[in-house]
Amino acid sequence: MTLLVPLQGLNPVQFLVNGLVFSSVIVLASIGLSLVYSIADFANFAHGDTMTVGAFGALAAAGVLAPAMEGILVFGFPVWMFAALFVGMALAAVVVVATEFVIYRPLDTGSIELLITSIGVALAYRAVIFLGFGTDASRYGVPRAGPIPEIRETLNLAVTPRQVVAVVSAIVLVGALHVLLQYTTLGRKMRATADDPTLARVSGIRTREVIIAMWVIGGVLAAAGGVFLGLETLVRPRMGFDILLIVFAAVILGGIGSVYGAMLGGLVIGMLYELTPLFSMVGIPIGNEYAEAVAFVIMVVILLVRPQGIAGDAT
Amino acid sequence: MSSGSGSGSDASTDAAAASRAERALSVSNVDSGYGEAQVLSDLNLHVDRGEIVCLIGPNGAGKSTVLKTVFGLLKPWEGTVMLGDEDITGTDPEDLVRMGVGYVPQVDNVFGSLTIDENLRMGGVARKGGVDEVIRELYDRFPILDNKREAKARTLSGGQRQVLAFARALVMEPDVLLIDEPSAGLAPSIVEEVFEDVQTVNELGTAILMVEQNAREGLAISDRGYVLDQGTVAYEDDADGLLDNPEVSQLYLGGADYE
Repeated sequence: MTLLVPLQGLNPVQFLVNGLVFSSVIVLASIGLSLVYSIADFANFAHGDTMTVGAFGALAAAGVLAPAMEGILVFGFPVWMFAALFVGMALAAVVVVATEFVIYRPLDTGSIELLITSIGVALAYRAVIFLGFGTDASRYGVPRAGPIPEIRETLNLAVTPRQVVAVVSAIVLVGALHVLLQYTTLGRKMRATADDPTLARVSGIRTREVIIAMWVIGGVLAAAGGVFLGLETLVRPRMGFDILLIVFAAVILGGIGSVYGAMLGGLVIGMLYELTPLFSMVGIPIGNEYAEAVAFVIMVVILLVRPQGIAGDAT
Repeated sequence: MSSGSGSGSDASTDAAAASRAERALSVSNVDSGYGEAQVLSDLNLHVDRGEIVCLIGPNGAGKSTVLKTVFGLLKPWEGTVMLGDEDITGTDPEDLVRMGVGYVPQVDNVFGSLTIDENLRMGGVARKGGVDEVIRELYDRFPILDNKREAKARTLSGGQRQVLAFARALVMEPDVLLIDEPSAGLAPSIVEEVFEDVQTVNELGTAILMVEQNAREGLAISDRGYVLDQGTVAYEDDADGLLDNPEVSQLYLGGADYE
């Protein structure tokens, strides 16, 4: 699995560009995983498959919307893909909220039990996707556009419109989340609940409502990550699960439970992943197939130095 | 509470009726505990409007458990808890806050990662209408907080945290306030300030049920007290009565010097 655009004249900055695209996916996914860990207090192994649910929701929507909205472009990108993205995000939100009501809330059990349960939820999501779409990989059918000529000529970098869309969307979503967390009552309630759920209830915060908001936000962002991953690569039923370990690495690297740490961790892990080819460029024979291993080794090294993660416990 | 001086049975019934009307909080025949472990058995106590009631007793007697059970953090196994004449047995904390009950836990009583201002705002999430006015009043009353509005609560000293926890609970202007060991871990000079704050809040009309390890000091600012031992009330009296009671003094107050 690589997001690499074929080497273009060996400009090392190209890897940073690729890293930024992959980082966008990981950052979007990391936030929800971290939110669930800090507020609902468990490691959600269904989070990767939530990304897949979003990606396939967008795929189904694209099948309907693409013919209807043919030819309308925004930023050189078909508008139906944006619409499909929103459908995928909405579907993922509905699915995770339904899961909360049907499974997690009635179970009302400990962290380990919820972790195990979430593995079952992941399998259930995937089974439904297999039933609906089979096991094959699909494409959204966004016309392949080459690198944007202006950027290529001025900076000698290959940047495609879909990469720009992914990165800009991720920045907008992360910015919106920051505003929500810091400047709204809901955001303060979420931070308070993450900080101390018992004290939150003692203060009068209806933590069950906060948990629903948490699922919606985490699900929406995961779905966006899934769609952008599907746009860069392929839409596959295992896409989210395959990437989940990297997302966990990002969350742990950032300082587990910290949303801003997850953002930072996602950025770092995504970059490390795509920067691996630089090793062979400087003569160290580590190929791109080791990208995942390299990312994990560096994660372990950083955690040995800073066990609380790079962002500490600053929520 | 003086309750008339009649000697006939009619008079005492009237007195009982009168005092029922004055009940802010009553706990009747309550059993409670954690999981399978019973802590409280057949517990009876009450707080009248306008009172400060102090709950003292040895470690492990179940003092904090009483507050947690009243506040719905633990569900009573048996018995009833009444707020005025409303049955609140097992009501969730987030609902009790809206019914006029406040609770200041002993530890973990501030949101460390939130600012002072955010902590106070969280105290008022259940308040109808704005919180700005009441928070401004609290800043006036507790200048220590006013100077540090944008500081994270985790940067506060123990005494400042206690004040913030207290102020957070006051944003709702509760009728009944449960306070768990306000003096825990504080220097004596600060304990005095915290107790003064408790009295001020009480004078403004909030009935207070307070757990206190510092038994003598706690009783000194209280109207009445209960001695809790092994999960049930061993002694109850007005505060002076408990302080003067030789048995209570020997069993539950004398030890304080050696701790």
